[in-house]
Amino acid sequence: MQTKLNWRIAALKNGLQDATAYRLEFLFEVLGSAAVPAAIQTLFWYAIFKVGGTQELGGLKYEDFVAYTLTSILFTQIRGGDHDFELQEMIRSGGLSNYLLRPCGAVEFVYLRGIAPKLLIAALSLGVGLAIGQAFGIQPGHLIGAMTLALIGNIIHYQIGAALATTAFYWEEAYSLLMVKNLLVSLLCGELLPLHLFPSHLEWIWKSTPFYLYVYGPTQYALGRWSNSEYFFHLGMGLLWIMAGWALVNFTWRSGIKRYLSLGG
Amino acid sequence: MIQVDNIKRSFRSVKKEEGWRGTLNLLLKPQYTSHEALKGVSFSIEPGAFVGLIGANGAGKTTLLKILSGLIPPTEGSATVLGQNPFERSLHFRHSISLVMGQKAQLWWDLPAQDAFELLRAIYNIPIPTYRQRLEELSTLLDVKPLLQTQIRRLSLGERMKMELIGALLHWPKVIFLDEPTIGLDVLAAHKLREFLREFNQRQKATIILTSHNMDDIERLCTRVLILRQGSLIFDGAPSQLTRSGLCQLRVQTLRPVPKTELSLWTGISPNAIHYSSTEADEESSEEKPTGTVLFTLEREKIVSTLQTLMSRTTLIEMGIEEQSLESVIQNLYANETQLANRSS
Repeated sequence: MQTKLNWRIAALKNGLQDATAYRLEFLFEVLGSAAVPAAIQTLFWYAIFKVGGTQELGGLKYEDFVAYTLTSILFTQIRGGDHDFELQEMIRSGGLSNYLLRPCGAVEFVYLRGIAPKLLIAALSLGVGLAIGQAFGIQPGHLIGAMTLALIGNIIHYQIGAALATTAFYWEEAYSLLMVKNLLVSLLCGELLPLHLFPSHLEWIWKSTPFYLYVYGPTQYALGRWSNSEYFFHLGMGLLWIMAGWALVNFTWRSGIKRYLSLGG
Repeated sequence: MIQVDNIKRSFRSVKKEEGWRGTLNLLLKPQYTSHEALKGVSFSIEPGAFVGLIGANGAGKTTLLKILSGLIPPTEGSATVLGQNPFERSLHFRHSISLVMGQKAQLWWDLPAQDAFELLRAIYNIPIPTYRQRLEELSTLLDVKPLLQTQIRRLSLGERMKMELIGALLHWPKVIFLDEPTIGLDVLAAHKLREFLREFNQRQKATIILTSHNMDDIERLCTRVLILRQGSLIFDGAPSQLTRSGLCQLRVQTLRPVPKTELSLWTGISPNAIHYSSTEADEESSEEKPTGTVLFTLEREKIVSTLQTLMSRTTLIEMGIEEQSLESVIQNLYANETQLANRSS
């Protein structure tokens, strides 16, 4: 048990060391990818409500949208990551060989190295959220719950990416597939727009994917727009998605690895 | 320890014709071509052996190493390493082997080697005191102790290769596969690496399979050589078997360059056993150009008659007899596989 835990902790530590090897680069990446989209969205809401004169959109006012955008920043940094792209590149170029011969799971190892900086960002976001959230009526318990949901979303995101990356075993490339997945995620996770702006007859689209658990769900709960029972329902859904994702990753990797060519070298 | 029975491995790849038409065809009607990298290779290796695996580019060396280390399965035939099917990659198997590819970095570029080794320590569950002792020993042997805290990307190629080796040996593997570990290294670094490998093999009794284009590596380290040619095993024996077969090299300098066909006709020696001593500029060209200095590979007893023939046909300025180096033997063998098969038997 201790052995199994040892390498996982070491992989997290190594991933964090790797991500923060260039401190300024890391800082710019985190702040830049948080601030720029939020500024664009806030400007967008300003244009619609203040310049365009709209009073209400989908039942929400200007202040609600700004609150949504600013709160969602805490979670957009935790969603995703590009370690599924790393996996597909490793399959394509033969870099996976390095991981296959080590006594640890390659998919899990890559994830742990990739999630390490996200965990640091999650802790910082939580700290910031807790420090200033209360002034805006955000309850600490809700914020912690929301961050838990966002981290569950991160796991699901990687599982989907890891399963899609296995197409590189067959087609040698999975880049476009992962890009399309990311574009869909951007639209359906709630980082661009709150999902209740979807027409009611199209709501089934985002409700039938786990993507809403990445940003929209956590933001709704943090802002107190989801009740506790709603939250626990979606948390349960998240755990079910993780189990399904685990089965999917196992199946796709077991099948795909038989076609691995270990190119290069 | 290692048992390989009639393994074959083929690869399929897409064939693309030249130009726009080829691009269009690739899109609409891709054509595939199959290449057989290994064609029924069999051998066995005893524990603690240091075996050289050699062959020209595309001979199947790396494919064989990939099969033995469990990265890819053979298309046909079977291989067992440490009594296990490598492709099952059991936990015990992965704890017991190591693969170093000279052309592929296995450590993390942005981190100092020490951080990477710490991660490997945790992965292989090496007790901390043992890890410290091994790291001390390996880094001292390879002379890289002061560099352990330097980012991998800032190290020279030779230093990086040494770090890769340390990373591959920290868990004291029973079987080590080394794919061109001295590639790109200067003479001194290659020498140190060789000394280190020899010592490690002798002390730890680890089985080592080494591929290299550098015959110095093979000559100085390996007690046994496997030669692959176009996917087939054409020689399996001691390196000394290759050089002690009574063949030597007769070097003559003629007043004017003589074409190889003419030399072969005069002396009755196969053109494959005649080479021109090339200049550096010539080495860049794949075609062998006639020069004044010619090397004949021949049996010792034919030296006198060959010299007499040459003197009767052309003017010789200088001559000498040299023992054949492993490199020249291998060069000849790549060109003439029949000769090798006779010697192996």
